[in-house]
Amino acid sequence: MVGAMEIYKLLPTDACKECGYTSCMALAVALLNREKRLDDCPALLNPKYADRFKKLKELLAPLENASETGLIIHPEKCFGCGNCVVACPVNVAAEPTRCGIGLGPQGEKVILAVEDGVVKCMNVNECRRFGPNKILCNACTATCPSKAIEFV
Amino acid sequence: MAVCTGCSLLCEDIELALMTGAISKVKNLCRKGHGHFQSFSSDRTSPKIDSQEVSLDQAIKKAAKILVEAKHPLLYGWSNSTLEAQRIGIDLAKKLGATIDDTSSFCQGLLMELVLAGRLPTCTLDDVRNFADTSVFWGADPSNSHPRHLSRFAYYPRGSKRQKSYEEERTCIVVDVRKSATAKLCSNYFKVPPGGDADFIASVIAVIEGKIPKFGDKKRMIELGTVLRKTEYGVIFPGVGLVYSLQGKIELLETLVSKLNEVTVIKVVPMVGHYNNMRGFNQLLLDDTGFINGVSFKDGQAKHGPENSVIAAAKSCDAALVIGSDPLSSLPFGTAKSLANAPLIAIDPRRSLTTDAARVVIPSAMYGLEAGGSAIRMDGVRVEFEPILEADLLSDEQILARIMEEI
Amino acid sequence: MEALVTIVTFGDIFQCEAEKKGRYSEDYKKFSAQIILDKQDMAGLGVKEGQNVLVKNHVGSIVVVAKASEDDPHPGLAIMVNSPWSNQLVRDDVCETSIPGFKRISAQVSPSVEDVTQISELFERMKAKGD
Repeated sequence: MVGAMEIYKLLPTDACKECGYTSCMALAVALLNREKRLDDCPALLNPKYADRFKKLKELLAPLENASETGLIIHPEKCFGCGNCVVACPVNVAAEPTRCGIGLGPQGEKVILAVEDGVVKCMNVNECRRFGPNKILCNACTATCPSKAIEFV
Repeated sequence: MAVCTGCSLLCEDIELALMTGAISKVKNLCRKGHGHFQSFSSDRTSPKIDSQEVSLDQAIKKAAKILVEAKHPLLYGWSNSTLEAQRIGIDLAKKLGATIDDTSSFCQGLLMELVLAGRLPTCTLDDVRNFADTSVFWGADPSNSHPRHLSRFAYYPRGSKRQKSYEEERTCIVVDVRKSATAKLCSNYFKVPPGGDADFIASVIAVIEGKIPKFGDKKRMIELGTVLRKTEYGVIFPGVGLVYSLQGKIELLETLVSKLNEVTVIKVVPMVGHYNNMRGFNQLLLDDTGFINGVSFKDGQAKHGPENSVIAAAKSCDAALVIGSDPLSSLPFGTAKSLANAPLIAIDPRRSLTTDAARVVIPSAMYGLEAGGSAIRMDGVRVEFEPILEADLLSDEQILARIMEEI
Repeated sequence: MEALVTIVTFGDIFQCEAEKKGRYSEDYKKFSAQIILDKQDMAGLGVKEGQNVLVKNHVGSIVVVAKASEDDPHPGLAIMVNSPWSNQLVRDDVCETSIPGFKRISAQVSPSVEDVTQISELFERMKAKGD
């Protein structure tokens, strides 16, 4: 995943503060967290930065698909192994006699399920990384054999 | 609900919606199983003699004729067929005085022999989920070969004695020549050079006996010894990688397991490959003849020997029936060449190199999808399944019964 | 430029999936007709990722695509999936245990300008009579 420094190097870096942040590095971080968008930087819209804008757009594109919790799935990499489905604590709490013991879920309250051979994400607001009491849970990413599931 | 016959885990929690001629919104199938389910709709075989389209009846009659006229017929495949079909296959071999062999003879045969004979203690995969605190994948990479193994049984799920699962109560050890996908997920990875497993075994035995290991990183081997001694219920899953590496010295594994069982409980479950019912065939043939594979009924009684394995018999046979397998793709070139040049009969639902080379092709139903039956999972548990699709095709069982009638 | 490698055959889920699609599919060829080489070995051979290489031994020869390994270094070790391509290199002599040497194939690797061997060519080799 792209890092803040990579983003920063492509910004105008003149700290004009038009975006509301005191430094371009702060904007870089905000762009990664999706608290700001590229057009929040008026300086970047100058035609002389057209190439940089294009590159930034490319780098930030995967984040477009990320859920609110920052979860991205790359289905083309997914093995459909179900490790994330079974490791996810929310899945296990919702279906202790299914996901808890290695089976596919039957209900609708789970976050992760395997459909058509690859994992799908739903109900992301139930994810423990979301909301006021969020924690740094990484059960799904840590158990993936192919980096098909990541956090931005 | 359906059962997946994509590998020897035979997962039974598959949910799907059926539309006319298509399967969609399938739940819980891994990528491999999904590919398997989707494959029913492409590259299907049709009855042929010498590449000409014929009726099913004609193809069956020709197949029977070829087999009857052969002096040394070989019946090979079997590991992707139901128990019911395998049973008829064995009877057919007896009636013809043929040689019968399955994929285990070049795959897990040596290991399976020990497990089925009771020389290696074993357990079910459900036991693994419920009791195992240490899983060892040795020369096996389940993430690629049996994708749901870790999530259904060996590492991630909760079990009756392992409620805290991989987070606190399970250890996953991988022994392999490279850092496979499974090795990247496990808690302890041991890299062993190709052919170095005998030395690794010697080192493990040494640390269990409290001696200094001769091979490998001494500190790590001693740590491994500690992990194994603290294990309450360990399960070793040897893959083809280990079986091949030991090349005939499979008793080294027996010695290791025996040694380990002096200090703790260790079981062995063979990682039967993507042949979904190899264990079923081995068990049936064992019960019938005392051997798990490579049997010749030529002189009226069952004889076993390496000359009856497909690798050797492909050269000496004068006709071969291949059922549910594609040896031209999966066996060494020399064997593939011998089979391609013998009068070959292929019973298969889908086109392959073997069906292309066959003199007679007999199309069959895909079991688990279009035909029902029963099979044995890699751990010996019997799984039954019903068809979920209608197809105007005979099952392996029905085809073999028809061939029997013609003989 | 030639390098001697030991080829170990491995299962790969994407190749298994492609196999279910069919032995004649483009995907099956893509995932099967390749050899994964250690990065240093590749550099030593002057072979780049995606370039074709000739892999041969006394059993047979094939042209496949070279891929750089993403694993920890494993000089001298190469990885292929079991397929009609890799089987061109596997001996079929039967020792007592009748296990072919799938997991320890010795072969020479060198850069090649030929196209990747087609499965139809492999089939023709099998059908050819005589030695």
